[in-house]
Amino acid sequence: MAETSECRESPLEERGTMSALHGKTVLVIGAGSLGGPASLTLASAGVGRIVLVDPGTVEPSDLAGHPLFVEADLGEPRGAAAARRLSRLFPGVDVEVPAGGFDEGSAPGFVRASDLVVDASSHLPTMFLANDSAAATGTALAHGGLLNFTVHLLTVEPGVTGCLRCLFEGPPPPAPEAGVLGPVAGLAGSLLGAEAVRLLEGRPGAYAGRLLVHEVRSSRSRSVPVKRRPGCAACGAISGDRAALDGGLP
Amino acid sequence: MVGAGAVAGPALVYLAQAGIGTIYVDDGGDVDDADAGSWLFTPDQVGQPRLLAAIERLRATSSLVRVRPYATDVDPTATLVCAQSESVARKAAERARRAGLPHVVAQASGDGGVVVAIPSGAPCFGCASPPGARLPSRAGAAAAIGTLAAVELLLVVLRLLPGRGTGRRIDLAEGWPSVRPTERTPGCDCHNVY
Repeated sequence: MAETSECRESPLEERGTMSALHGKTVLVIGAGSLGGPASLTLASAGVGRIVLVDPGTVEPSDLAGHPLFVEADLGEPRGAAAARRLSRLFPGVDVEVPAGGFDEGSAPGFVRASDLVVDASSHLPTMFLANDSAAATGTALAHGGLLNFTVHLLTVEPGVTGCLRCLFEGPPPPAPEAGVLGPVAGLAGSLLGAEAVRLLEGRPGAYAGRLLVHEVRSSRSRSVPVKRRPGCAACGAISGDRAALDGGLP
Repeated sequence: MVGAGAVAGPALVYLAQAGIGTIYVDDGGDVDDADAGSWLFTPDQVGQPRLLAAIERLRATSSLVRVRPYATDVDPTATLVCAQSESVARKAAERARRAGLPHVVAQASGDGGVVVAIPSGAPCFGCASPPGARLPSRAGAAAAIGTLAAVELLLVVLRLLPGRGTGRRIDLAEGWPSVRPTERTPGCDCHNVY
């Protein structure tokens, strides 16, 4: 059966926003199961520069759900392997893999040099560091998380929406790591990347000020409002719109 | 798998990595610029048959999966329909239904799309999703729909969907998935096949 084309994804050159996105820099924290599909989405949308921070190496567990890695990548630095495949798929995108990780010393510089931060770290202390750095520099943050069969997505617009620390104050105690079904991570990463593209295009964030909690077995979605919390250690000092402070969404 | 384009590509990658034994791919098109979002094809593969280029990439992804061109004499466990063509998708869904195969149909449109899971005995794709206009998909939408379809297919194959013989339709709009059970259209004879 031959397939005919009737409804296709827009070619890059037909997207009116491509030239605008080509001038954008996005910091992607984590090149794992969330960062892979998120980076692919950013690259396919025509984002000009992706800074991919991940100090890890490709492990066998990565091959259970990662669109950028193949078996030949095992043991290689994760950021470099991801960047190599991204550059082959999208030669027009500048993918940069700085040495080292995203830590308290490097975070402010990375975030300041970016138009948007995508937190795909799946690591609680890093999530809060990304949140605090984004709040401190006034940079928008698209955050993604996974727990078993559940996807979490939240966008933080400092001074406008609540942030991760408004919701949780701090990282919870460490818990045993749970496995995640590969395509669930793919779904989360794709939605995360699409949210980043929305923000870069100047459209309203789908998860701005509201946390999406989606459980894939029931396919139920829950929206958790994330209002700015007076006294928040990360964003409490930012002067923002009073309506937003009172819980109104943009 | 019916299709190897922007919706099918991400689904194929995750199914290959999830431990599916054999994947038969059915696609008669060539790689073109619009396939950039499929995650499978590099620019130097433009003009090559999508089927062969997809198989090459999937075999590199995992040595544990067998990936082969679809042939009419094979006997799959389930069908995932990610065809970009509306008419091809509907024909493939109907063929799967008549063969008694559980199937999932995925269609991207604009900023989202729809995924319909049809376990054996559930209302057919025509009942769940009447024909309608679709828009070119925005960045990430096709991948989100493809990965969502891969999740649904695994849930169907593993019999983890809630409710026996119950289908469901997931609509993705502006990044928010919403689900509802499918219902048989009065007069549709799709209950007669199973």
